[in-house]
Amino acid sequence: MEQELREIVRKLLEEGAIEYFIGYAEGFEPLHTTPCFIERGEQVQALVWSPLCPYNLARYLHQMKDGAGKVGLVVKGCDARAIVELVKGNQIQRERVVVVGIPCQGQVDLAKLEDAFEGAEMVEGKGDTFLVTVGEKVHSVEKERLLREKCFSCRHPISFEYDFVLGEMSPLVYGSESEFAMVEELERLPVEERRAFWRAQFERCIRCYACRDICYACYCQECIFESKAPRWLEKTTTPLDNQTYHLIRAWHMVGRCIDCGECERVCPVGIPLRRLYKKVEKEVEQLFDYRAGMRVEDLPPLVTFAAEEPALSSRQDRSER
Amino acid sequence: MIKKAHLTQWLDRVAQGYDLFGPVLDGVVQFKRVNSSDQLVFDYANSVVPPKNLFLPQTECLFAFRREEGSIILEPRGGLERERVLFGIRPCDARSLLLLDEVFNGDLEDTYYQEKRRGTILIGLACPSPPQRTCFCTSLGIDPLSPEGVDILLTDLGDRYLVEVTTEKGEELVGLSQELFFPSAEGEKLKGEKGKSLEEVGEKIGSLWEDGYWRELSRRCLGCGVCTYLCPTCHCFDLTDVGSTLSGKRFRCWDSCMFADFTRMAGGVNPRPTGKERVRQRYFDKFSYFPERYGVLGCVGCGRCSQYCPMGIDIRTIINEVIARGAK
Repeated sequence: MEQELREIVRKLLEEGAIEYFIGYAEGFEPLHTTPCFIERGEQVQALVWSPLCPYNLARYLHQMKDGAGKVGLVVKGCDARAIVELVKGNQIQRERVVVVGIPCQGQVDLAKLEDAFEGAEMVEGKGDTFLVTVGEKVHSVEKERLLREKCFSCRHPISFEYDFVLGEMSPLVYGSESEFAMVEELERLPVEERRAFWRAQFERCIRCYACRDICYACYCQECIFESKAPRWLEKTTTPLDNQTYHLIRAWHMVGRCIDCGECERVCPVGIPLRRLYKKVEKEVEQLFDYRAGMRVEDLPPLVTFAAEEPALSSRQDRSER
Repeated sequence: MIKKAHLTQWLDRVAQGYDLFGPVLDGVVQFKRVNSSDQLVFDYANSVVPPKNLFLPQTECLFAFRREEGSIILEPRGGLERERVLFGIRPCDARSLLLLDEVFNGDLEDTYYQEKRRGTILIGLACPSPPQRTCFCTSLGIDPLSPEGVDILLTDLGDRYLVEVTTEKGEELVGLSQELFFPSAEGEKLKGEKGKSLEEVGEKIGSLWEDGYWRELSRRCLGCGVCTYLCPTCHCFDLTDVGSTLSGKRFRCWDSCMFADFTRMAGGVNPRPTGKERVRQRYFDKFSYFPERYGVLGCVGCGRCSQYCPMGIDIRTIINEVIARGAK
């Protein structure tokens, strides 16, 4: 599949169809990939693809504002929803993006991998298993043991917004029944316990803004947290300040979070941010029957108004009773 | 020497007379105040946030102010109630404190930093082997088994720790439970390894001011604060008044040269307008400005920036690239 990808990219670059291509390359070791920007045909050898490619490369489409030409990139199904949303939000023009979709076989959680296989060097996906190379040995292990948490609720392993697609269309799909289980578990707790849970999480926050900066949806010209006048939030990291930061961000994700899970992945202090944004996603889905990033034509619920909002009216009935 | 089984007994004795800080698992490993040794973890590589936050807290109130009958009253803040003991600091982070001392104890002494520094006794823990995938202190001349910068260094020898005491304050701590310590046999000190030296980076980077590499690097960089906030030697801060003009508090908070607003002037001009200038700043500071000012590289090879960079940017790759591209 890597070879196929390289050939497509080489062709796109040599024909002048794109200015550059955003893909994955090997990082400081094979287990750690890093995004790469390919500008010339001879650089395509750097491109790799494996279950160790977590980055949502659509985030880098923010940089397209600086140019006029076309840009290519490789996307997993989850990442592709960001492209749909960026088009909807007038951040990019679809015709300026060449999307290469890869049927994702699930992504590996590095912490789980290191716990299970000390000294692991490489991971490949094969059917329901991952093949883990440790020294001379190759271990076959059930995917469930190493998958990233978000992959368990994956509904879209293959991009539905693409210009090229690589490999077989036989992706791995896990049931989506339990998608909101982690939210519901918290919802069942009394409000004081819920508050205590989040307070303890937010207390650890060091406000490095990695969760904001990695988010495809954070493209405001001036972020509310950087505004000097008015100054909405100081740099102080009191529990209240940290909570304010996270709750403002959660509100701003309404109808826009695509659950790529990048915020949680990059949080250095391990705040379970997916739970927070899953809650927002769940409310939007139940109130407006809407999921972000599905089709360019879908109107985001907060920029439209329907007199007959089915879920909302049933709520009103309840309150009247 | 001290038997492993006796370590917690000693630390509990220490906690009676001092404020004890050490590695705690709270979501991730962090250095925090503990009341008793059973809150501590011993099986850890290093903390996520470096121990610099005990000396330069991320948010620190410097003083409170209020207006009263035409004058302004200042109430100083800060100060330690009791002497502190930090248990479990690694040799790379101990070195980083020596570097921060250069910054905060120069011509002008930073009293807030100094009183915490002077009021804290350090019990170091030599590093376990093998190191983490991102560790590279040995390439910067640091020995992961060295007692440099700590009052006491413990080295894990299986069922016991080798105890190296380097200061009087360290002696005092050992003296609290003298009965638990016993002499070591000769030759029990482990030898640290030396890695490939990367110190050449300091001589080469100056030639790369205009190099295209910084732009290349900045395309991947998101401009978040992970590398700077987790860096044990990064020490930039911002001052903020919270309250009104009638009364309030002045805070000192960590700031990051990776943030776009770090150098934005009041009129809106920004001398580091894009990611390129900001990324370049960070590495020039570590490998050029810091050595110019203090005669030593501003990096201790703890590897946190590489380990936690959201986009997998690796400082060792950058150092190697600088060495390969630069001229002396």
